[in-house]
Amino acid sequence: MTAPPIRARYCLVDHHGTPVTEASYASRWQLVQFGFTSCKVVCPRALAKLDDALDRLGTDAAAVVPLYVTVDPERDTPQRLKAHLDATHPRFTGLTGTAAQTEAAADAFRVFTRRRDTPDGYDVQHTAITYLLDPSGSPARHWPDTHDAERIAADLTALLR
Amino acid sequence: MSGEVLTAEQLGHLRHWDNLSRRLPNDWSQMQGKGVSQDDFGGYRFQLAYMVYGLAITHRHRLPAAPGMFAPTIRRLIDKLLMPEVWLYWRDVSRGGSVFNAHLSGRLGEEWDPVVRDNIMYSAYVQSCAAMHDAMFDSDHYAEPGSLTFRHWSFFWGGEEKRFAYDRESLTEHLYWLMVETGYLGVACEPNCVFQICNQPAIIGFRLHDRITGGSRADEVVAGYERAWADFGRLDASGHYNMMVTEDSRVVRPNERPSPWVDAWCGALMNTWNRDFVRRHYHRQVADFLETGPGGTLSVPSAPARHVMGQEVVSDTCDLGWVAAWASEMGDEQTLAGLLAHADTWMSPTWFDGGLYYPRNDTHTDADGRRTEIEPMSGNVLLGYARLNVADGLRGVYQDQWPEGHFEAPRLEVVDRDIEVSRAEVVDGVLHARLRRDRTVPGDGTVTLAGLPTSARLRLGGTELTVRDGLVVDVPEGHAVDLVAAP
Repeated sequence: MTAPPIRARYCLVDHHGTPVTEASYASRWQLVQFGFTSCKVVCPRALAKLDDALDRLGTDAAAVVPLYVTVDPERDTPQRLKAHLDATHPRFTGLTGTAAQTEAAADAFRVFTRRRDTPDGYDVQHTAITYLLDPSGSPARHWPDTHDAERIAADLTALLR
Repeated sequence: MSGEVLTAEQLGHLRHWDNLSRRLPNDWSQMQGKGVSQDDFGGYRFQLAYMVYGLAITHRHRLPAAPGMFAPTIRRLIDKLLMPEVWLYWRDVSRGGSVFNAHLSGRLGEEWDPVVRDNIMYSAYVQSCAAMHDAMFDSDHYAEPGSLTFRHWSFFWGGEEKRFAYDRESLTEHLYWLMVETGYLGVACEPNCVFQICNQPAIIGFRLHDRITGGSRADEVVAGYERAWADFGRLDASGHYNMMVTEDSRVVRPNERPSPWVDAWCGALMNTWNRDFVRRHYHRQVADFLETGPGGTLSVPSAPARHVMGQEVVSDTCDLGWVAAWASEMGDEQTLAGLLAHADTWMSPTWFDGGLYYPRNDTHTDADGRRTEIEPMSGNVLLGYARLNVADGLRGVYQDQWPEGHFEAPRLEVVDRDIEVSRAEVVDGVLHARLRRDRTVPGDGTVTLAGLPTSARLRLGGTELTVRDGLVVDVPEGHAVDLVAAP
């Protein structure tokens, strides 16, 4: 598979409140998933799958920075992201920012997002593609959400070696 | 051994498609519909693409051992699909401003590249036809960089040459990411209008591309498409297919009533990946559109032309043609026979240069109220497509690989223009073909065989044959003759 035709640029803050860009993780592979902490189905499934894939890598997983970029900056503050991820998927670092910043990040990865009213308030429809940036911060590949942990782990293993 | 031989009418449709594929550049005679600027559903792009689909279906299901009869015609049709006359409408339509999208007209600029944004009603046909050719013939013809190039230059206006170079890979990749950006709801046709129908060819194209590359994009896109449309429903409250969703407001635009072409076109294509759903609704849907006539004939009345802003909306809906194509894909032989009988009785079937078609007629009905109106899309393409199709025919192109060893098997590798092939299949390793020299068109009167050793045993019309170098067979004048070629 060829590298996805995305710009893969972002200017956000991590869940510790530190400003970050795609250059902040130079020398490591970035595994990037977009979503939001209130997501009930798609994100829990995607993050669990990526945890599984990274578990399969063993010690090689240290070369990978798992990132979870919010599409719901209104609710997903750094504090909320940290609390959510610490409790559910602690190897992930959450990234957020202003609405303009997160929208720009989604555009740069060609991620579809759409806010939708629900009886409980609102949710945010979004594509659940997983992206991989190489140690220089350039797009390396992507996996649709139909690909399972085994497939992702096998691809990562091949790329990391 | 099927032993099936094509009928004279089926051969006539194939000859007509071949004739149209050989028209000189920008000669669109017999293909011109009522509308202007290629805006509507009878445009050249649709006629060209569905001839390609029809040829692929015929090759796959009826004449599998005759690639030489199909591949060159498909390439000529794709060449025409790339011609600026076919896609230049996009320079204007890309600006928005349709009746129900007037609010967009100030936001969008003129776009010359006909595939770069929206316009899936064109780009998906280029992509799927190219992938269909390459998957069907084990070819990388359209993988060649620049093999799908859109170019235009005029001495009289427009400045520099416009040139947009794509190929099978780059166009597929581009359309895939456009699909991703919509959340898999689908890529728009004209700005803001996401039609269910026009995203089906893209899915077909992804599938055929997957077959070539070993990928799984069709499965991914279908899964996403199902989720995205779950918000709207594929069918409306009356049980007919929703035609389109507006992209910005995410509102389903109600279909005009009745709209036979919407159900028929959508159903004929969606059957490729969603057979049970399409078939579950087919009989109830089609019953709403059919009108019975004498002698078992069936017709499909079209709704009167709408009037909007004081103007009559001019459009080739192709209702009867699409319902015939749909019925053929469903294997509904009774409905198909009734529709074809209607066309043969009231729509002036015409033989021209050895080809069969139903010439355009803008008169709605005869004095007895029988439908006589027929559009070039129906008369050139869809009725022939329906007559050549088999039950689940397009689905078979989408779902099924050729049997193992197909590309090495004995076959008609080259077929001269004047040779009519009514049978071509391999049975127990032996090639069986029925050939006739057709003097109504020019040609050298030969077929060239492949997949056979030079020592192959050939019989033509029951007589042992010594072939020329290169397995070239001269087809004699007169009646059709059977060719049997054993390794």
